[in-house]
Amino acid sequence: MTDVTLTINGEERSASVPPETSLLRLLRDEFFLTGSKLGCDVGDCGACTVIVDGLPVNACLMLAGQVDGRDVVTIEGLATLEDLHPIQKAFEEFASLQCGFCGPGVIISAKGLLDRNPDPTKEEIKDALSGNLCRCTGYTKMIEAVQDAARILRGEKEAA
Amino acid sequence: MKKRGKGMGCMWYPIGFTVMANPSAATVKVNEDGTATLITGTVETGQGSLTVLGQIAAEELGISTDDVHVVSADTDATPMDTGAIASRTTYVTGNAIQLAAEKAKNILFDVAAPMLGVRPDQLEAKDRRIQVKGFPQSCLPIGEVAAHAQNGAGTPALGSASYNPPTVAMDPETGQGKPFSTYVYATQIAEVEVDEETGEVEVLRIAAAHDCGTAINPMLVEGQIQGGISMGVGMAIQEEMLFDDEGRQINPNLTNYIMPTSLDMPDLEVDIVENFDPTGPFGAKGVGEPTAVATSAAICNAIYDAVGARIYNLPATAEKVLAAIKSKDHSDRQKYLPAG
Repeated sequence: MTDVTLTINGEERSASVPPETSLLRLLRDEFFLTGSKLGCDVGDCGACTVIVDGLPVNACLMLAGQVDGRDVVTIEGLATLEDLHPIQKAFEEFASLQCGFCGPGVIISAKGLLDRNPDPTKEEIKDALSGNLCRCTGYTKMIEAVQDAARILRGEKEAA
Repeated sequence: MKKRGKGMGCMWYPIGFTVMANPSAATVKVNEDGTATLITGTVETGQGSLTVLGQIAAEELGISTDDVHVVSADTDATPMDTGAIASRTTYVTGNAIQLAAEKAKNILFDVAAPMLGVRPDQLEAKDRRIQVKGFPQSCLPIGEVAAHAQNGAGTPALGSASYNPPTVAMDPETGQGKPFSTYVYATQIAEVEVDEETGEVEVLRIAAAHDCGTAINPMLVEGQIQGGISMGVGMAIQEEMLFDDEGRQINPNLTNYIMPTSLDMPDLEVDIVENFDPTGPFGAKGVGEPTAVATSAAICNAIYDAVGARIYNLPATAEKVLAAIKSKDHSDRQKYLPAG
């Protein structure tokens, strides 16, 4: 067994798991954080995207043991009891998601981008979302929502 | 050298098939607090149909969409619906809901008429009130009428209805008939860039003009069109199931079955061309599947415009486009088109 202690959404958590356990399985099966989705499990679809030490990664491609001592943000870490995160709000406002399965991964990828680059171009947004497959929407309304959320996070626009 | 071209694709698409039974049933009840409950067997798959169906019930009852509680897809309890298929939900289920809401509304009119001293046919439902046509100051809150309907008159404001698109059987001699209840139309224009040396196609821009009858929720219609175009782009230049001699798919993974990412998506311009279809709920038809139909035709015509090469089977992969460019006599045409 591998002992792991990490920070998830600001809270320190520990678990003891078989060494082949992926970060995604750790989040979903040990900590019951099921917002990160199990899609392809081989790093193609992006539905499991989480932020590790500030960078978006596919949680299915990382071993639980590799996140020992590191900082992980999942989709559950974005909203508060009072309010959605501005990116989530913008996705709602723009009807950016349809079936929604890719949503947690897309929103985390967008957060990873805006944390590093608060004023991205449309091309930079497309690039940041290119690891997240979506079958429903054609990505257009997602890109518009990320642009809008960026304006709100920069303080140029009031939240809706 | 990279060359640019533009191409157009046009289509029509049938809504409300009649070749077999295609019914939807629904129940609408108006509650004492002025809200309504809509009970439908259809299922939401993300397209926003429950929003649209709630809007239809709200419009018929003169209340806000926020006032409608939608209960859906519980096989123990909800009425039969043929399903979220065939681009039929807004049209067929929507018609059933409008009819059900109208029945509930007529009960409210019967109850409100003596309260307001008029005939039921002089009433209308608007702004959460039952009011006299032309005299909106003579009115009652819809919740008060609903409460009186069940506690006073003893006729709860409840309506159930079903809708099945009317059938006209095919004449065996002439082949004439009416296989579908109504049709939608669309035109899409694509602009592409083709690399003459590699055959690689990049779709730069697509403008799409779609008729869906009344666009009950234009934002959701736009979402359907944008999503459909992404499927059309995949169909045109990327997506292909490949099989070995034993019939096993050799590309069953997302690494080798290639679908569009955000980087593959062109800039989209969506134009909703509204018109009123008298057979649809508030004039609406449908929008789901039709959105993906014209895209590959528009893209292939744009490829022809750019490099003079005709692609007759999809997807127009770089290999196929390059081969077609190299054999500009279009000898490949015979391979894919029926003789004559």
